[in-house]
Amino acid sequence: MNSRGFSRNTLIGLLLTGLSSLVILQMVHIQNSSQHQELSRWADEEFSFAIENYYPERGNIYDRWGRLLAGSEDVYEVGVMLQYVANPVSIASTLQGVNDMEYENILAVAGKEYDPKKSIYAVITDFLPSGVIDVLSEIKQDYEIENPYGRNEKKPSLRGLIWIPHLKRSYPENTLASNVLGFYSFRDRQEGIGYYGVEEYYDNILAGTPMETYMPRNPYLLEGLPEVPAGASLVLTIDREIQAMVEKKLDEAVEEHEAESATAIVMDPRNGEILAMATMPRINLNEYWKTQSQFKDNTPYNRAISETYEPGSVYKVLTMAAAFDSGTVDEETKYYDSGRFEYGGSVILNWNRRGNGEQTMQGCMQKSLNVCLAWVATELGKEDFYNYMQAFGIGKLTNIDLGGEEIWPLSIPGDSDWYPIQLATNSFGQGVAVTPVQLATAISAVANDGKMMKPHVLKAIIQNGQQYTTAPQVLSVPIKPETARKMTQMLVKSLKNESSAALVEGISVAGKTGTAEIPVDGVYGTEETNASFVGWGPAENPQFLVYVWIERPKSSPWGSIVAAPLFRDIVQELVHYLNIPDETVQWQLMAKEGLE
Amino acid sequence: MAKKRKQAYKQTPWRRQLRSLGLSLIPVIAIAVVASLHLIISARSATAGLQIMEMHYDEEEILRQIANQRTELGWITSYREMQKRAKKLGYAVIPPEELYYIQIPGYKGKSSVLIAPPPGIDSGHTPLINDFYQVSLFDWFSDTFLITGSPSSGVQK
Repeated sequence: MNSRGFSRNTLIGLLLTGLSSLVILQMVHIQNSSQHQELSRWADEEFSFAIENYYPERGNIYDRWGRLLAGSEDVYEVGVMLQYVANPVSIASTLQGVNDMEYENILAVAGKEYDPKKSIYAVITDFLPSGVIDVLSEIKQDYEIENPYGRNEKKPSLRGLIWIPHLKRSYPENTLASNVLGFYSFRDRQEGIGYYGVEEYYDNILAGTPMETYMPRNPYLLEGLPEVPAGASLVLTIDREIQAMVEKKLDEAVEEHEAESATAIVMDPRNGEILAMATMPRINLNEYWKTQSQFKDNTPYNRAISETYEPGSVYKVLTMAAAFDSGTVDEETKYYDSGRFEYGGSVILNWNRRGNGEQTMQGCMQKSLNVCLAWVATELGKEDFYNYMQAFGIGKLTNIDLGGEEIWPLSIPGDSDWYPIQLATNSFGQGVAVTPVQLATAISAVANDGKMMKPHVLKAIIQNGQQYTTAPQVLSVPIKPETARKMTQMLVKSLKNESSAALVEGISVAGKTGTAEIPVDGVYGTEETNASFVGWGPAENPQFLVYVWIERPKSSPWGSIVAAPLFRDIVQELVHYLNIPDETVQWQLMAKEGLE
Repeated sequence: MAKKRKQAYKQTPWRRQLRSLGLSLIPVIAIAVVASLHLIISARSATAGLQIMEMHYDEEEILRQIANQRTELGWITSYREMQKRAKKLGYAVIPPEELYYIQIPGYKGKSSVLIAPPPGIDSGHTPLINDFYQVSLFDWFSDTFLITGSPSSGVQK
């Protein structure tokens, strides 16, 4: 009985063991077969990992008080998963009119044939706001309830229609400071780059580093995913309120004087911070693709840094500063103005073609005498004159942190394009070309005790959760502090003596007008001019420098009539934004402090 | 006699069968326990992996929403919108002659905007898990019993 039982059990055991062994053997066989290895490799390649591209969020741009100038907005790409499209007609009729799309075009995309190798997904449109997607989502759900899985071909269905969110560059201020900001070509999602201004200059910093990574589909292998840091954000020196005010004043001036354009720069001469930089035309940065149609005939995107022009009499500030600094002239120096000055085989005349008799240097600047300044330059000597001009940065890039800065090279003695007469003409801003930012920077040395600060628009960078503030840089020290103060006092007096339209009630300002004839085919004397004014204040402790340039005004060609009032209008409001009380209030406050 | 005593101590067959069955089941149970543990841990790690993936997508969405809302706020508080709102509420630009300045002792004017802390300031991040709980038994053993008696301490003597 026992031996029979044992043998039966043994038999069953052996049978089961044999069967199990066969199963295991077959498993081992399959695992090691060449087909398995091939299949395994294919599965590994196709399905175990997915290559994912991470595009970091582009950094924001803020004004100096943290007001957003450029950010990112949530938008959607809308497309169809061709395999699941049940009713292309209802997709076309639902999306018709969205983003100006036409029915036929949508139908052509939604009706594409599904091909697992070539055609799985097709884009219908992009950059749809979340509001439109909410509506689409509701319609899709309603259709799905009425017609589950889109089985009934006669009933509408949006099956297969999907939307993928992504970020888009957005400029809440539209046109404000557009010439400074530049733009990011967000419509090109893969290859978008920054053009002009801050967006171009700081493109790499703003963009961050896109990352391509292998994403395991096997959850066992998912230990952590790459952190893609967002691009750095920038805090600019621009003050939104001042920028808006300056743009408004420029627009009004252009309209009033029927000018071609106007440009203004407001900077802090103490550190080179640009508080406002306005010019025209300005574009709505959210529609950057219209740039070409608005900037015709090689019009620069930002005239303040890219358009060179002959500045005219505002340049006399540099000539006189150089002469004072070198000791060539002083307050007592007298010059007899006959109205003519012959030099290098040519004759220099005053702007009104008249002589003014004996003049001090104060008188020369006040009456803006070309003849006197030409004499001053020749007394200074060509070597010193051009050394000073180079120290003021004429002919050199200021290296302002904006994309697209241009210069016109300064011709100096020894150059093939330099002639002796240029020493005389250059002294009053003729035969020399500068950009507004170049001249504003040069003259800021006079407003800042002789120190010329590098103009810049970046105040701070926010990277990896920390804010790094930039330090101001000295470009050069072309003149001594005493010279700078003397020049400032001289130009304060000049404005007061001539009762200039640039005078601001209660604020002591120094400044100089400029009217430069625009040469046509190398000939001066046309009625077209560049009218400009540069001024700074308060004279005792300059906190702002304003440079305005009106191109081809029709109401009057003169800087004193066209540009000086614009300067005054800007400064009148600017002082309130900068909390600079007028002199009377300042005296009262000081007296009160003294009593206490 | 001796044979009889030996027989007296012999266990009953059902007990012996039970013992051999028990002995043969031990490895099976051990394997089952190990397999169960493996399955439980695998399942949990797979769940954790999937959660990581989900949280990653959630994080992406949250970051997108933050960026979007920040920009929306930018639109709402843009210069033009604020001007419109101010006008609607009856505000007007103050004429210069109506401006009144007062001196506030110690006030140095509006300070620069700080959107993020400057470098050098502790951001306040503390590790989620205490270091004590991250030390392996081996590290603890070597730190406590081996390094204490290391040659370096002898050198100091």
